[in-house]
Amino acid sequence: MHAAFAPFVVIVILFIILRFYSVFPFVPANVSLETIGGALLATFLRLFVAYALALAVSVPLALLVTRSPLMERLLLPVFDIAQSIPVLAFFPLIIIFFMHFGFTNGAAVFIIFLSMLWNIVFSLVGGLNVIPSDIKAAAQVFGIRGIGFVRKILLPAVVPYIVTGSLLAWAQGWNIVIVAEVLHTYIPGGSASNDLFGIGSTLVNATAKGENGVFIVAILAMVLLIALLNFFVWQKLLHYAERYKFE
Amino acid sequence: MQNDINSNNIIRFAGVSKIFEPMHEVALRNATFEVAQGEFFCIIGPSGEGKSTILQLIAGLEKESEGTITKPESVSMVFQAGALLPWLTVRENVALGLAAKKMTAARANAEGMRYVLMMGLGGFEEKYPRDISGGQRQRVGIARALAADPAVLLLDEPFSALDPKTTEELHEDIIKIWRDTKKTIVMISHLIEEAVSLADRILLIKNHTVDRVFTITLPRPRRENETEFAKEVSQVRRAFFKT
Repeated sequence: MHAAFAPFVVIVILFIILRFYSVFPFVPANVSLETIGGALLATFLRLFVAYALALAVSVPLALLVTRSPLMERLLLPVFDIAQSIPVLAFFPLIIIFFMHFGFTNGAAVFIIFLSMLWNIVFSLVGGLNVIPSDIKAAAQVFGIRGIGFVRKILLPAVVPYIVTGSLLAWAQGWNIVIVAEVLHTYIPGGSASNDLFGIGSTLVNATAKGENGVFIVAILAMVLLIALLNFFVWQKLLHYAERYKFE
Repeated sequence: MQNDINSNNIIRFAGVSKIFEPMHEVALRNATFEVAQGEFFCIIGPSGEGKSTILQLIAGLEKESEGTITKPESVSMVFQAGALLPWLTVRENVALGLAAKKMTAARANAEGMRYVLMMGLGGFEEKYPRDISGGQRQRVGIARALAADPAVLLLDEPFSALDPKTTEELHEDIIKIWRDTKKTIVMISHLIEEAVSLADRILLIKNHTVDRVFTITLPRPRRENETEFAKEVSQVRRAFFKT
């Protein structure tokens, strides 16, 4: 049971790091080749926190939706509408909210979280709905119920769907993070000093200043990181998830 | 066997009906029959006329709409397609049958292994379901059901997807298990020959209700090429196809 709290503990710790220790306090006013590595790491950390949050929220949400046909009929249309709304439309409001608490990193994480969430939720809902009925019947016959049913049957059964949903979520996250770090375009009278340090803001500000060298290196660094993640993480996870598939 | 049935019933259906709402689909209508302790009981009948519903009612997977069902608490089931968890090894799948028993992982492992060996799966305990044959998968399903130590073992067409040789081997295994453990077995079959070969009694379900019960008194092992066997098959077949 205690293992179920592990993701929440990780998220809380990551938030504390982001909020109070301000890992990357400097702004990309002076974008340079030296800061690209740090920018990439800052962006990755932002994406990771948003992903951890999205995963932690989407699992209970998907379990709730598929709890009964009635729940599914009621909630799925709501989710459909929610995922159709462009999240960036709300970004100015989100920034104002988080700026009020002096936590602009939170605004970026939150918008990335929203962009990732529905990919995982819909993938999970699909996965939960295709668990063979005899597997559920077997669990019932052998007395596997409640939390045990979620832990021993439902969660392993949706591993392939978590992986594919996560893959799509990260792709979406990389798209959004470019915009999510460039806060000054959403703040009236804002300047580059309002931006969050990361690869997205580095790209935008390098373009604005005509620093083509920085721009090209930043792009290449980002592409390299995405390729490495794909090769060393996603491909391995996709392969690993095969063993969780029903025939 | 008939006398035992009257005095020592472990399952009793009295006027049981099952209607699936909201379409008001009648799956079973006014079914009355008994299964005796230690009996090998087969259910046959055309597809979609209520055989599986009976098993689901005994397993507690569905609730009767009308009538009364008397059955023991401890019931276990072998599923048509195995219903094994692909992410667990053979041993872990078998140990799943012990989930309700609240034993330590070490004890569940040891106990699971006992049934793995009983079903002739020694050497395959660390394999995954995808790495073993269809017959072995069904053996895992039987081992898992036996590990739960049920009073009644339900078999839902467990041999329907297997080749004839494997089916015959599993028939011998299941008869041996039945004799050794003295468990009550209720099995659905779509083959009349299979039912006659294994069962003490055969329940014929037609038009969503009990049509007839046949008592098979042939000595075991039963051979399909024997005249008496053919007579029993012919008798059941006539009732099966009678309109």
